[in-house]
Amino acid sequence: MSDYFTYLSNITLPMLNGMVITLSVFAVTIVLSIPLGFAFTMMVRSKYKPISSFANAYIYVMRGTPLLLQLMFVYFGLPLIPFVGQFLIFSRFTAACVAFGMNYAAYFAEIFRGGLLAIDKGQYEAAKVLGLTKFETMTRVVIPQMIRVCLPAISNETITLVKDTALVSVIAVAEILHYAKTAVNRDGDTFAFLVAAALYLLINFVITMVFKKLETKYEF
Amino acid sequence: MEIIKVNQLNKSFGDNHVLKNISFNVNKGDVMAIIGSSGSGKSTLLRCLIDLEKADSGDIIMEGNPLLKDGVYPSAPEIRSIIMKMGMVFQHFNLFPHLTVRQNLELAPKVVKKEETGVMNQRCEAYLDKVGLLERIDAMPSTLSGGEKQRVAIARALMMNPDILLFDEPTSALDPELTGEVLSVMQSLANEHMTMVVVTHEMSFAREVANKVVFMDSGTILEEGTPEDIFKHPKEKRTQEFLSSILREQRKKTKKQYRLKKYC
Repeated sequence: MSDYFTYLSNITLPMLNGMVITLSVFAVTIVLSIPLGFAFTMMVRSKYKPISSFANAYIYVMRGTPLLLQLMFVYFGLPLIPFVGQFLIFSRFTAACVAFGMNYAAYFAEIFRGGLLAIDKGQYEAAKVLGLTKFETMTRVVIPQMIRVCLPAISNETITLVKDTALVSVIAVAEILHYAKTAVNRDGDTFAFLVAAALYLLINFVITMVFKKLETKYEF
Repeated sequence: MEIIKVNQLNKSFGDNHVLKNISFNVNKGDVMAIIGSSGSGKSTLLRCLIDLEKADSGDIIMEGNPLLKDGVYPSAPEIRSIIMKMGMVFQHFNLFPHLTVRQNLELAPKVVKKEETGVMNQRCEAYLDKVGLLERIDAMPSTLSGGEKQRVAIARALMMNPDILLFDEPTSALDPELTGEVLSVMQSLANEHMTMVVVTHEMSFAREVANKVVFMDSGTILEEGTPEDIFKHPKEKRTQEFLSSILREQRKKTKKQYRLKKYC
């Protein structure tokens, strides 16, 4: 029995280190991609054709190619670009965050766009006749309502993000799955995968709870 | 004193010429009812007055300041300062669903006018009392009935101290038994000499509260005058037809029809 616990702690402790990396990639991605995504939503809605076309092209490319490929491109490909490439050499962790942030921004942009479509034209009109500027209308009237509409989709995307962080092992960032695979290969025992699964479920349990709370808070 | 002067206003949606050379004045204290069948351009006209639709040509002068001059609009801040002197009540209320009744009333005074909280709270309570909804001050709009929502919307518009209130079919989205409570609030505003322009299908309101009635038909003002002129002695054949058909319609609903005297 004690052997069993020794083995469990032997494989779990490194995985907890990996979990710190997983959570870091996750946190940095959320912080980068949500504001960037909203900026792209605004750009798509822009009256100026070059701006909206750029944003649409960005979203098309980011959603249309595999995240795995984007990850490898940021880490291995960008430094090879003539002249500017030398400034685009990132550490593994930074490369992972850049690729994830840019990719998820495209998805969040579409989620926010959907949320804005759900808001009645009458809300903009009421705000206008009360004298609110466009900016005040956005921050006071539109965005609070948009958040409520978007929350289930954001929750969905956030959970997907936690699982997608497993992809960063392709550029040898040592996250949960990296340590699990190491243990499995070393010991010839797939038990480590179960521990990894439990860790992902734990993270997503917390995230699900947080979003449940947020949904009650934004209910009206 | 003229509050709004409209001169030769034209507006098209694509090939559809919805407003054709519209001219009229609204004086201080006037209650003007705009009647007419649907599609005659009444709502579009009202929306042009407060810049929710852009007109193509003509003038709209609000208290001497041009909102539209020879088909040209001034800069955005100027437009904003002009329309801030007007209030509007919508058919579908358009309350902000994520804010309580109090927050709905106080949002614009707080954000736009940076009004002091104490004064603002007092005014908010006074206006809610006036529309008979003081006890619902902390309610969310989704818990209110249609009539209550519309009364909150009227109070919200009053919070900005408008010189004129525009109503776009304020009772059309309400159940017949709820129209009375909204109309009686409007009646009491009229008694206080609030200047109002009301697009309405409530003929009894037009007849008994308005001092000016405008009949619109396919984008033109076909006839205008006192309620007496329009309802008792309509000159145009089209006006007579409209009135007789709508009165026949209302006689059918006579049991549910509100009687203004009851609410005075």
